[in-house]
Amino acid sequence: MNKKNKFQIKIKYLSILTISALLAACGGGSSSEEAAGSDLDIDLDGSSASCEFSETGVNWAALLTKNCPKLSDYNLFLDQADPTSGPNEQGIPYDLSTPLFTDYATKYRFVFVPEGKVATYSEHEVIEFPVGTVLVKTFSMPENTANRGVNETHIETRLLIHRADGWTALPYYWDSATDASYIVTGKSIEMAITHNGQPLAFEYGVPQKNQCTNCHAVVPVLDKNDPQDKRKSIFKPIGPKARFLNYDYDYGSQVENQLAHWESEGILTSVPTDKAAINSAPIFKDTTALAGLTDEELTVMARGYLDINCAHCHRQELTIPEANYAGAAGDSGLTVEFNRDFDTEPGRFGICKTAVAGGYQAEENGYNQYPRDIVPQHADRSYLLYRMNTNDGRHKMPELGRGSIHKEGVKLIEAWINSMDANDCGLNDLID
Amino acid sequence: MIKSNKSLSSIPLIKLGLASAIAVAAFGMTGCGGDSDDKSSGAAQVAIDPCLSADCTASGFVLPANAIYVSPDAADGADLKDALITALTDIPDNAVIVLPKGSFIVSSAITVTDATGITITGHGMTDTKLDFSSAPDDDGFKFAGGNDITIRDLGVYEAPKNGIKADGVNGIHITHTSAIWETDLEEGGDNNGAYGLYPVSSQNVLMDYNYSKGSADAGIYVGQSNNIVVRNNIAEHNVAGIEIENSNNADVYNNVAFDNAAGILSFDLPGLPQAYGGGVRIFNNATYDNNIPNVGAGAVSLAPSGTGILIFATSDVEIYNNTIVDNDTAGIEVASYFLADDDVANYPTNYGSTMANGWSPLIKNINIHDNIFKDNSLAVPPKAGLLQQIIAGYQSPYNSTGSAQTAPAIIYGGIGELLSNAAQLTGFNQLVGEDATADGVNYNPYTAADLVCSHSNINDNNKNTLSSNDLNVGLVYGTVATDTNNWNEDQSAPEATLRIDKMENNTLLDCTLERLSPAVVTINNKKYGCTADDSALAACAL
Repeated sequence: MNKKNKFQIKIKYLSILTISALLAACGGGSSSEEAAGSDLDIDLDGSSASCEFSETGVNWAALLTKNCPKLSDYNLFLDQADPTSGPNEQGIPYDLSTPLFTDYATKYRFVFVPEGKVATYSEHEVIEFPVGTVLVKTFSMPENTANRGVNETHIETRLLIHRADGWTALPYYWDSATDASYIVTGKSIEMAITHNGQPLAFEYGVPQKNQCTNCHAVVPVLDKNDPQDKRKSIFKPIGPKARFLNYDYDYGSQVENQLAHWESEGILTSVPTDKAAINSAPIFKDTTALAGLTDEELTVMARGYLDINCAHCHRQELTIPEANYAGAAGDSGLTVEFNRDFDTEPGRFGICKTAVAGGYQAEENGYNQYPRDIVPQHADRSYLLYRMNTNDGRHKMPELGRGSIHKEGVKLIEAWINSMDANDCGLNDLID
Repeated sequence: MIKSNKSLSSIPLIKLGLASAIAVAAFGMTGCGGDSDDKSSGAAQVAIDPCLSADCTASGFVLPANAIYVSPDAADGADLKDALITALTDIPDNAVIVLPKGSFIVSSAITVTDATGITITGHGMTDTKLDFSSAPDDDGFKFAGGNDITIRDLGVYEAPKNGIKADGVNGIHITHTSAIWETDLEEGGDNNGAYGLYPVSSQNVLMDYNYSKGSADAGIYVGQSNNIVVRNNIAEHNVAGIEIENSNNADVYNNVAFDNAAGILSFDLPGLPQAYGGGVRIFNNATYDNNIPNVGAGAVSLAPSGTGILIFATSDVEIYNNTIVDNDTAGIEVASYFLADDDVANYPTNYGSTMANGWSPLIKNINIHDNIFKDNSLAVPPKAGLLQQIIAGYQSPYNSTGSAQTAPAIIYGGIGELLSNAAQLTGFNQLVGEDATADGVNYNPYTAADLVCSHSNINDNNKNTLSSNDLNVGLVYGTVATDTNNWNEDQSAPEATLRIDKMENNTLLDCTLERLSPAVVTINNKKYGCTADDSALAACAL
């Protein structure tokens, strides 16, 4: 989006004022007067912030007000061509114990909290970051997933910025080796890598800017008793929750618990002293061995995986602090938050639950290979697992960021389902 | 393609291709339709057609001078993806986005979040065709949140998932728009996208003059929403033509549903955040020839092929003055959830939490009156999945008359009512949460206001003598708990008695219920529906 085009739109709106006044009877439904009065272009708001930045350090003013054309305009890194290390100023790298899968990309995450400000710990939700905070995540594709950090190509860098009016997401696409460009239209890229010694080809999708909300927004559950309930959705980060941060990270100079490190760096407060008491998701990486895990360990690992990969959409009610909001797929009835009690409502995790939208088609004789979201002890009959294990667009989950199947995640959920207590879900065609 | 040997007074029974669909859709539109009516309604009517002096869409929507035109000169076959996304990113309130005339590719889902007052329009549902077949694995248009959004005058083709989805929108108007999958379901289209036009978890939903064909789930669907008007739409060759699910206050009228597996459906499904709906009026629709195989997956696969109208596990529905013809299984089916899951003892385990929120397997207060029936229920052998045994029972001597009958055109299951009347479900009352209890959800014996009633319906076969090839009403399980005939030999379980009666002057299911109130939709401060812009419409006076 360049400024010139936006500016032209504004001029066009202004000139319309007089015309629309003449069109008394049958003008369009929308009010052009209102549109003309609204500020169409954040770039024209008179702020002194500029994407042209020649000073040292982070371009905070631009981060807070401008969608700059180049990632380098924000000056987040010492070397603007290398978004994997060397953050400027207070930038701190971080990692998640169980990461969200994105086509085996390597992810480089940094948090920038403005000097003098501090985030507040949250037990279940994303750390409450102050206005001005920037979360920076770069997606790089390794030639071979066995050698991460070597022969990687930067694909995209996403900025989540906590501006005065809430969080916003800015996607940058690495269209050159030295810098990334702001791109709202998304991008589809053919990838061919090596994974587990085998060639793996898939289409990597850089999401459109508008698609960021598919995962990052919680939507109002409209009040049926209030026809004028016009609340907006709320944009939230996903990953930096205490349960995924509460483990040791190698900062190079030292290895330290991330929450403790953020505290000592002065960007986080109100963390419980006893980190071990925080209900946390265990480390699950593609190299994590499942053999030898107890059923309990397997369960908590699977719950962590479902939380980070699914629960940003599949969430509802109790776990969202704002009243009457839900994840985008909360209305499916499948909700898999890490902090939801499994035993109270196993159906909310898909146990014996029939899919509402979607579902697997029965054969002509009535047999359905995947009749329920989860059939305990029958991963091969569980639609939830099938959805993780297919690239068929009508069934594939998650919807975004998955052009390939996360084989290791599938194995984890498969093992979890097969470790459950038996429940035939009333099905009479289960074969043990 | 006119079907010859049928005569129906209210709606011409025509096999509608898209072209004639447009003719029907355009019927009733005069001058500048759509939103522009807002401006003229209060003042003296202007006689001059504004489309003479301004650009209009095929439906008569005046394109305002401040409209933002997306790729106005694009050639047929061009990919509009980038231009469309750019126009819709950070879109200002109340903007009107105009797509060009022609047939185009859109190689990506188009997501619009939290927009306010915007209109996305083409030049007409056959003038602006958008082919989403190359969009990877997603919906055509997806609106997430937002208020007072209009999408109109365009055609969405071959969307991999759903045609147009609106999730959590307050004020969504989909009009003069089509969602089409060209391959018929019965010709290998079972991998077509799921829903055609798909508002969900929304409020103030208006869907009119649309056309949906070929969806592998519901063509025109509204779920978990409130205050809904669905009118003047055409749905063909979908699994479900038009479906209202877990929704409150919905008026469904003047629609045409044909060649679907099931024409018009009203459902409450278990396990959803909006646990149940009600206040659904289905009237003055034509639903005919809904006989294609049900190739659907998930919940919709329960709908029997050959269904005119299906009322399933929901309450407070009024079905009247519809024209219901040539549906092979039944004209109207009314069934509790026990039809799909008869493991009554395990309902607390399997559905306890959703029952706490008020979902109920029962059907109550279903008022079926003044519908015209012709040539339904005539398939031999019966073709309808879940209802197969019941239909076969009626078609054999094993029904209450002792001689083979044409299966009922109106068929009511009755088992939930019987179990309620026998006080066998009262234990479920303690599952029902406070709010739902206050709202009247219970498992007590049925009161007069809870009944399923059929009265003043018209048998257009003109026989009405309870003989072969007649159209009848049927009750599968008798509902009187004290009648020993309604139970098996040791009186331990319900027994299907397959009662049947003539449709006119019937005693079976003969009762009356209070009429339901009209739905009102408010979009951009304008009201729609029978008490508003359609207040003079004859159908609204029925």
